[in-house]
Amino acid sequence: MFSYILRRVLATVPVMAIVALFVFSLLYIAPGDPAAVIAGDQASPEDVEKIRRSLGLDRPFLVRFTEWTWQLLHGDLGTSMFTGLPVTELIGQRIEPTLSLMVVTLLFAVVAAVPMGVLAAWKVGSWLDRLLMALSVIGFSVPVFVVGYLLAYWFALVLDWLPVQGYTPLAKGFWPWLENLILPAIALGFVYIALIARITRATMLEVLSQDYIRTARAKGLGERSILFLHALKNAAVPIVTVIGIGVALLIGGAVVTESVFAIPGLGRLTIDAIVRRDYPLIQGIVLMFSFLYVLVNLAIDIVYMALDPRIRY
Amino acid sequence: MDRRKVLKGIATTGTLVAAGGFPMPSIAQGAKVLKFVPQANLANFDPIWGTQYVVRNASQLVWDMLYGIDDKLQPQRQMVESEEVSSDGLTWTFKLRSGLKFHDGAPVLAKDCVASIARWCNRDAMGLMLKAIQKELTAVDDRTFKWVLSKPYPKVTFALGKVGTPCCFIMPERLAKTDPFKQIDEYVGSGPMKFVRGDWKPGALAAFEKNADYVPRSEPANWFSGGKVINVDRIEWVIMPDPATASAALQNGEIDWWESPISDLVPVLKRNRNIKVDIADPLGNIGAFRLNHMHPPFNDVRVRRAVQMALSQEDYMRAVVGSDPSLWKAIPSFFTPGTPLYTEAGGEPLKGPRNYEAAKKLLTEAGYKDQPVTCLVAQDQPALKAMGEITADLLKKIGMAVDFVATDWGTVGQRRASKNLPGQGGWGMFHTWHAGADCANPAAHIAVRASGDKAWFGWPDSPEVEKEVAAWYDAKTLDDEKAVIARLNKAAMEHVVFIPTGFYYAYQAWRGNVEGIKNGPLPWFWGVKKT
Repeated sequence: MFSYILRRVLATVPVMAIVALFVFSLLYIAPGDPAAVIAGDQASPEDVEKIRRSLGLDRPFLVRFTEWTWQLLHGDLGTSMFTGLPVTELIGQRIEPTLSLMVVTLLFAVVAAVPMGVLAAWKVGSWLDRLLMALSVIGFSVPVFVVGYLLAYWFALVLDWLPVQGYTPLAKGFWPWLENLILPAIALGFVYIALIARITRATMLEVLSQDYIRTARAKGLGERSILFLHALKNAAVPIVTVIGIGVALLIGGAVVTESVFAIPGLGRLTIDAIVRRDYPLIQGIVLMFSFLYVLVNLAIDIVYMALDPRIRY
Repeated sequence: MDRRKVLKGIATTGTLVAAGGFPMPSIAQGAKVLKFVPQANLANFDPIWGTQYVVRNASQLVWDMLYGIDDKLQPQRQMVESEEVSSDGLTWTFKLRSGLKFHDGAPVLAKDCVASIARWCNRDAMGLMLKAIQKELTAVDDRTFKWVLSKPYPKVTFALGKVGTPCCFIMPERLAKTDPFKQIDEYVGSGPMKFVRGDWKPGALAAFEKNADYVPRSEPANWFSGGKVINVDRIEWVIMPDPATASAALQNGEIDWWESPISDLVPVLKRNRNIKVDIADPLGNIGAFRLNHMHPPFNDVRVRRAVQMALSQEDYMRAVVGSDPSLWKAIPSFFTPGTPLYTEAGGEPLKGPRNYEAAKKLLTEAGYKDQPVTCLVAQDQPALKAMGEITADLLKKIGMAVDFVATDWGTVGQRRASKNLPGQGGWGMFHTWHAGADCANPAAHIAVRASGDKAWFGWPDSPEVEKEVAAWYDAKTLDDEKAVIARLNKAAMEHVVFIPTGFYYAYQAWRGNVEGIKNGPLPWFWGVKKT
């Protein structure tokens, strides 16, 4: 197990190298000029050129890439062109809100979606099944920002139960932290509930038609025990796979959700960096997300082993 | 007590029992905190290096100025106690007020002012002019410094106190000696608020705490001048990229003041009795149709005039601010209405009914033959997107081919600097806007300059325009200035340096429990109270 994890972690190195080269090259050829944005609308072309030189943007691709790679090998992601702050500090400021949002969303989605999928499979063809699947279609179809605005309107403006926006660090208390995340997590979780519920239903339907389920029923086991102890455990591998894929989707969804609910997370940092062409920051964020995604995949593989003893690496 | 507080109280009690502790407040209990949503993100904090308005607006809290412009656009003494100018107008001697201190406790000395002026001179249009005629800029003693020029420059105090970016903020010498094209990394000023570096999350939050050592002037506050009295303990700039979220947060009492609500949301805010809405800046903004004078088709003045005679400012303004007629006006002028130098002299081409047939005829005379006009249209700036769509329609109506480049503002910023042919990475036109405060006179109005390849993007070349700009700098009385500006406006209209697309206002909105908010070209925090 340990050697497997070590091999997987080492395998991330070439992946990260390819990502680094790809991102750097893409930003190099992308249009836009951070120097013009820094200088402001009133600046003369000469001023813009001087700023470009002071940022080193006039140097050739290879020189810039080599310098950046060397910094990277020393654990330095560089300095933001706009703020003058280290990229690691900027990412550090924003990582907690995004991770909090992702964790709460995933928990909410799994807790809501898995029972929905199980129920729909159990009562397949019934009005309950149709209702739950109709809800999941709505979850797929309605954009996150629409759900976000509706939730903010009803639960913050009309009912005054929850705040419209913002984020409070966990260190300042559990409830202040959670109350800012409830609406964003529900908004972002809608699509994952739909996804996980549908996969759970499909997998459960397949498992419920297996011989061992018929045997369990013949033995007189209760429906709850059959559904949750025998069927769900065997259906868990595809569900966990979808949850893993969902983490990658969450990263994209967080960008919109963080904007709608003014959560100062990595999604908004990414958008700000792209709009301003803050190259070191964009590169740092993309590398970090890539690494995170590799780790999530590794975690999913380990969970497979825990769920199904037949799986060995 | 509202429902959320009750729910919060119940939940917090449960949490505290479970966690065995209390939340950690980052600020003193009972402190008065003003939560403000600025027009944009404070992405950097060096007002000389980054000349965006949002940086200036934050900087005014932290750094003080030698002079400050009032609402009559007249410079008033701020850090300066007195000034003396020699009879030949060449030597200016300034004496600082006593008791001025930086946030680190060090006194503000004349050498700090000298270094700050020197850095500012490298980045500002008026500063560059002053640098070109500067013979000597030195500290005489701790509170006195001297500026010796080779020719008289009557607008020295205006330059030092003007509102256009970059403003001449005074920093400690060690910071002011930083290369003006490199960013400072320490934020020490002598202004009424201190920047809380530890709380700065670019893109999310910037915080300022009251400077207890600040001694305001005794005169009442008036724009950049007078007594800058701060009535709150802390000001938090909360960055909200989504206008709908900012609107909801203001209605819910989560923020106190929103600098720039979009016009679509203003009716909702006006209906809320807990919110006040008013024009933010009486000097407004001037929309601009910027043409590339270097390449066809706009290198021919007849083509520029054809567009000018067909352009309807009403169409542009309705697209930008909507149907509220109190929010815009047509201006046959390059200058800000309501300011002392405003003139409509020579503005006839922008007045009266639009004449598409005459425009088509002029294009034929100019030999225009379907060369596409490369229009750079920033889709991420609502006002520029709206203007770009009107332009595409206008150009098609008069028979011009349009190459509509839908892009973002960052790309426009890069591409507009290209002097290549439009089909080879260059451009034909783009839209922008200019703050009315910058268009009150030629000092900060770089868009009206026509100095050829040294001019602003588009590179108009008109010796007549430049002659009048130079004459304005030498004008000694207001009447002289008015006469010069009338000639300048006429010359710039004839040459079609650019085409103003209209004058428009923007709103600001705040909670009813906030008092003392004034209108002006930037949000003034002095005198603002939260009850």
